[in-house]
Amino acid sequence: MKRTLYVAQREFAATVTTKGFVFGILVTPMLIGLLMLLMPRYLTKAPPKIEGQVVIIDPTGAVAGGLSAYLTPERFAERREKTKRDIEDATPDLLRRQAAASPGGEAAIKQSIDTALGDVPRLHLLPLPGTANVETEKAPLKVPVPKQGSGPVPRLAVIVVEPDAVRPAEGSQKFGSYALFVRGKLDDRLVDDLHAGMRDAIVAARLQESGLDPARIRNLTSVPRPGSLTVTAEGERTTNRELNMLLPAAFMILLLMSVLTSGQYLLTTTVEEKSSRVVEVLLSAVSSRELMTGKILGQMAVGLLVLALYAGLGLVALVSFATLGLLDPVLIVFLLIFYVLAFFTFASLTAAVGAAVNEMREAQSLQMPIMLVLMIPWILWLPLSREPNSMLAIVLSFVPPLGNFVMLLRMASQSPPPMWQVWLSIAVGAGGAYAALWFAAKVFRVGLLMYGKPPTFGTLVRWARMS
Amino acid sequence: MANAIVLKNLTKTFGETVAVRDIALAVPDGALYGLIGPNGAGKTTMVRMILSILFPDHGELTVLGRPSAMEAKDRIGYLPEERGLYKKMRVGEFLVYMARLKGLDGQGVHRQVREWLQRVELGDTERKRCEELSKGMQQKVQFVAAVIHRPDLLILDEPFSGLDPVNQRLMRDLVLDEHRRGATILFSTHIMTHAEQLCDHVVMIHRGEKVLDRTMAGIRETFDPHRILFEPLDPDSDITKLRALPGVRSVTPDGPVWDVALDGLANPASVIPLLVTAVTPSRVEIRRPTLEDVFVSIVTGDASTALDDDARLRAALRDGGQEVRR
Repeated sequence: MKRTLYVAQREFAATVTTKGFVFGILVTPMLIGLLMLLMPRYLTKAPPKIEGQVVIIDPTGAVAGGLSAYLTPERFAERREKTKRDIEDATPDLLRRQAAASPGGEAAIKQSIDTALGDVPRLHLLPLPGTANVETEKAPLKVPVPKQGSGPVPRLAVIVVEPDAVRPAEGSQKFGSYALFVRGKLDDRLVDDLHAGMRDAIVAARLQESGLDPARIRNLTSVPRPGSLTVTAEGERTTNRELNMLLPAAFMILLLMSVLTSGQYLLTTTVEEKSSRVVEVLLSAVSSRELMTGKILGQMAVGLLVLALYAGLGLVALVSFATLGLLDPVLIVFLLIFYVLAFFTFASLTAAVGAAVNEMREAQSLQMPIMLVLMIPWILWLPLSREPNSMLAIVLSFVPPLGNFVMLLRMASQSPPPMWQVWLSIAVGAGGAYAALWFAAKVFRVGLLMYGKPPTFGTLVRWARMS
Repeated sequence: MANAIVLKNLTKTFGETVAVRDIALAVPDGALYGLIGPNGAGKTTMVRMILSILFPDHGELTVLGRPSAMEAKDRIGYLPEERGLYKKMRVGEFLVYMARLKGLDGQGVHRQVREWLQRVELGDTERKRCEELSKGMQQKVQFVAAVIHRPDLLILDEPFSGLDPVNQRLMRDLVLDEHRRGATILFSTHIMTHAEQLCDHVVMIHRGEKVLDRTMAGIRETFDPHRILFEPLDPDSDITKLRALPGVRSVTPDGPVWDVALDGLANPASVIPLLVTAVTPSRVEIRRPTLEDVFVSIVTGDASTALDDDARLRAALRDGGQEVRR
């Protein structure tokens, strides 16, 4: 065991101290760091204050009043206040409590919401009768906005209400609508506000026309939507199943990344040991299985380091999501178990390939089958998540190395499998990992001392039988 | 005395090829054994089986009293023929790593590494990367890696290949030091003179089979060629004078030296005085059998072999140039 750890330690040190590794590993987090540094500055920058004139050409005479009321600064403030409350309501309890507990936390959240919402726009509504010339009124939209505080207030938009917007034309059931002309580079949120205001005003005018009470209609048509509660034996919780379904995805990405990076390093170092003929010196000191296990452990440490630096951010996010009650923490534990099993299986096979070939380029054809197996979960993801308890899903749960992935997917689904299946799947997965390790150790021992023409997969199997 | 290595009926085949056939061998504790034979004879396969890097198809073996070298790895040092270093690793780090894999632990490891590097005249290379060393220097580092844990059994596969004469001598002295320390040494070579200079016992392998297993003294006695090398003081001396002497079968000039073959029963001690009286010599010497002679006489039989075959075999054994095919 001690020797295995020495091998692992050397493997780790030899990999992470190469220039390529240091460079590749450092550059990406540095870029992410730079983004993180710049993004908040950009986000907390308050949007420019909006002030200007909105022209409404209203042949009906019933819409302008409603829009005018909608666009007053007071109403703007009111609406933003409501959005703020909605955001706060959507924030999970735990996060809010944590924010409240930290000094100035609550204030910080409030302030960031305020900043994001920006200053209330000041709009001057200019109602014009239906006889106004649309083209003439649109012309000022093309004039560039003067510098702040100088010259007249710029015209921001022209709204043309159709004559039949409130009352259908003679002999027709259909209502008309309106046209909106805005100047270039206008804040999207203002455009949204204008549309919302127009909708509000036109609906109100139509209701009035029909002799209905707008307030009553609003009351009759609104049903607040509550969050769903998951009822389990332990109690009720607001666990989000959609987020749980992200776990299998996280698993696949984790596995793919680590097999691609660590697996590649494992392959490289094994081929190097073989081609530099250092391997026989090593084999006089450690058994081939110790050597291989040590190398895999070392590369797993490399993989974990890479993950800690990259997806580690993601892992931290996962864990923090769990503490917020959005993810099931038990699932994360199972994710790690299944991950280690799957990694061991794939790494063993990769090491076997490395031991069998003489050069890196010979490795590619042997790696193909491994890569294909690695891709299967991506294909299975959709059908299995739709039917997590289909016969296919149950059978695949016990086929290593796919079972590791399939079982996690099923556990994250709406109808989790019984626990005995989970444990059986782990047992089978561990058996698969051990078998892969056993097979690889055999190939490793024969392959490391074989030089010559690159072997095929069939040759590898024969080697395993031979030794 | 106990045996460090015992092999019984060891056989190993690779596909169609029989690499080692039915070999039995016992190497006593503290002995210095030479394993000789041409390239491809099966030496390396045999060594790898002794070390449990390969496993025999048939037969049994005991290494340092254990049924497998796996159980005694820490007590064995091995310098393989196919040897290499981690190119990017520093020399000191590599040796510390190897020492640890061999079970050496604690604070003393670094000091021992430094001492050994001094001993093989590489004291200034500890911080250098292995790839910066010359081939000969790398080989010395590999030797240190094999002996740093003071093994009871030291197996060296072609330890002298690629070394210049000065370093060959240094290496020979180091091997003899290990022998004096009490280590059992088995070293394989296809260059017979190396074995002659070093071993007290020789095992000869040819095409996977053991053809000789004797002490050097025994070999010299058995394979005494009954020849005397005679160099006349005057190169123009009459060669027929010697041919006429009793006990002399033939005299063949070989450059300035005459090769005097004696009759089977003649005693060199009584023939030499006759020779020197007949012609004044500048040098007279009893010809010792070389392992090369022994090997050739064993594998070729006597008269059955064509002369050029014999010469080719000798050439192969002398410089290890080509594989021997007959």
